[in-house]
Amino acid sequence: MLVTSIEYTSQEMIVVAGARILEDNKVVFVGTGLPMIATVLAIRHRAHGIIPVFEAGAVGPPLEGGLPFSVGDSRTASRASFVRGLNAAFEMTQRGFCDYGFVGGAEIDPYGNLNSTMMGKFPEEYQKPKARLPGSGGASDMASSCERTILIMPHERRRFNEKINYVTSPGYLDGSPGARERAGLLGQGPHRVITTKAVLGFDDETRRMKILHTYAGETVESIQESTGFELLVDPDVSPFDPPTIEELTLIREEIDPLGFFVKKPVKEKVLPNQF
Amino acid sequence: MSSNEEQFFWTGLTPDAARKALVNKDKSKRDKRSSLKDAVNRFIKDGDNVAIGGFVDNRQPVAATFEMIRHGFKDLTLSYQSGGMAIDYLAGAMALRPDHFSIKRMEFAYWAHESFGLSPIFRYIAENGMVELEDWSNYNMSARFKAGAMGLTFIPCRSPLGSDILKKCRAKVMDCPFTGRPIILLPASYPNVAIIHVQTADMFGNCVINGTDATCQEIAMAADYTIVTCERIVPHRVITRRPKEIGIPFFAVDAVVHVPFGAYPTNCRRYYYFNKEHIATFHALGTRLRKGDPKGLAAYYDDYIFGAKGFEDFIDHFPVRKLLEEYQSEMQNFERMV
Repeated sequence: MLVTSIEYTSQEMIVVAGARILEDNKVVFVGTGLPMIATVLAIRHRAHGIIPVFEAGAVGPPLEGGLPFSVGDSRTASRASFVRGLNAAFEMTQRGFCDYGFVGGAEIDPYGNLNSTMMGKFPEEYQKPKARLPGSGGASDMASSCERTILIMPHERRRFNEKINYVTSPGYLDGSPGARERAGLLGQGPHRVITTKAVLGFDDETRRMKILHTYAGETVESIQESTGFELLVDPDVSPFDPPTIEELTLIREEIDPLGFFVKKPVKEKVLPNQF
Repeated sequence: MSSNEEQFFWTGLTPDAARKALVNKDKSKRDKRSSLKDAVNRFIKDGDNVAIGGFVDNRQPVAATFEMIRHGFKDLTLSYQSGGMAIDYLAGAMALRPDHFSIKRMEFAYWAHESFGLSPIFRYIAENGMVELEDWSNYNMSARFKAGAMGLTFIPCRSPLGSDILKKCRAKVMDCPFTGRPIILLPASYPNVAIIHVQTADMFGNCVINGTDATCQEIAMAADYTIVTCERIVPHRVITRRPKEIGIPFFAVDAVVHVPFGAYPTNCRRYYYFNKEHIATFHALGTRLRKGDPKGLAAYYDDYIFGAKGFEDFIDHFPVRKLLEEYQSEMQNFERMV
C-alpha cells in the first residue's frame, strides 16, 4: 500500500508518539503490544541505538524479521546479544540495567498507577471479579524496577480514573513525597504517558498527571473531557506533530504490512491486550 | 517438618519434604523414555500442584495437557508465570466436564495471549468464581521457582512493592535486616510435578532449550517430578558435545517423551511458529462458552482431545501444507538454518 495522504488512525498516532519519546542509546524493557510496535518504529526510524530487553529473556535483538507476536517468541531471540529466561531479565532490571520500562494497562490513575488485573471491588470481589484481566505479567516488575517508565494507554474516560479498581503496577502510589522510596521501590517511576490524544507527564511536586503535548485535532479541553480525573496543564503545553509520511510508510509497509497490530481501531478493543 | 512450616500454607511440597523426596530418589542415569500416557499416569495425581513450562504461547506443553485431560484429574493447583494455550486447554476441560477434570487453584502472573487477545476461558472461569486465584508478578513466580531450585524456603525480591498484588498473596513484606528498607519475601515453590516441552533431549533427560529458557530449568529443578516432552531425542554423545548448552540436567527429569509438534499450536523455536488461525478459532469457541454456549468448545474437545488416542491424532487434523507454513515462518526467524 502506498501512502498518498497523511490520514492516520489514532493507533498509528500512539505508536508514532511512543517511538518519538524513546531516547536513543538507552536500554528499554519492552512490554507486549503497543510498546513493542513503538519500539520497533523507534529503532528503524531514528533511534538505532535503542537496546530492547524482553521479559522472556532476550537482550538487544535487531527485530528485523517482522514484529514479534509475543515478548517471548522466536523473533525476540533471533540474533539477540543474550538470551536466558525470565529470572535473568528481571534480575538485570532489579540491578539497574534497564533505563526505561515501556508498558500498558487497562486503567490508570492520576499518579500513574496501572491496573491490568481486574474490574470490580478489591479485595471483596477478587475471587469473582466483574471482569477479569490477564494479570500483571512482568508489568508490575517493570514499573517497580526500571529506572523510569513510559506508559501507553488508549485515551478513554472510563480508563482514566481518580481511583482505579486494583493497583497492579505501581506508579507514584498515593502521590505523597517519597512514596515510592518509602515503599521500597527502586526506580523513579512514571516519566510519560502516551495516549491516543496527548503526551502527558507528571508534576514534580504533586506527582499528578499533566498535559505536555496535544495531538492534532485535540485541545486541553477535549483531552480533559476524555479523562475521569482532573488533569494539570503544563504552562508550556504545545502541539505534538502528527505522524510524518516517513513514519506512516515505515509502519504500513515495513513494520506491520498486514495491519495485524496497528490497523485495528482502538474502539474495538473492549479490554486491551497490550501489556 | 518444623512447626513454622506447618503454619504456613504450602501448596506443593514443603521445603523439607522436597529435600527429603529428592534425597530418597533414584538419580541414576537411566533410560527414562516413556509414552505420554504412562508418564502422566505415573507421575501426576489428584490434588497435585502442577507447574507449567513455557511462556505465554511459547513452548507450552500442549501435548502433556491433552494427555492430562484425557486421563482426568481432580483439584489440581496450576503454577506458572505467564500462561497461554496450555492453561486454556486445561481450564476449558474443567468448564466442560468438571466431574472429569478440575482445577482448584492457580498461582500465576498472567493468563492471556498477548497479540492474540485475552483468554475468554479465563474470564469465564474467574468471573464465575470457579478457581481460587493467587496473582503474582512474572518475576515473583519465576523467583519462587528459582528459590525451589536453590533449595531455599523463600527468596527476597524488590518488586512489586506498593502493589495490590501483595495484599492477596502469601508474600511477606519485611524491613531488610541490612538496610532497614522494605523488601518482599517470596515463598519458594516446590510443585509436585512439572510439565515442560523442549526442543531436544537425550534418553536420560538432558535437555537443550532454544530461544527463551522461560523458567523451565527452575521449574524442573524445583518440582518433585518432571515430565519432559521433546521435538527430538538425540543420542547422549550428541547432546553432551556442548555440555553448557544443556539447560536441564538429566537427574532433574523423570520421564522423556518424544512428541513432535508437542507445543503446537504455540511457538517452538527452530521447529514451528504460531498457528495464529487455530489459536483464534479456539478463542472464538471460548468466547461462545463465556456467552453461555458451550457446544462449539465441547465439539472441539470431542474431536481433538477426548476422541483422540494420542497427540498424533490432534496433529493429523492439520494439513501438511499448514504445518509447513509454520515451519517455514520459523525458518525465517531462525537464520542459522540457512
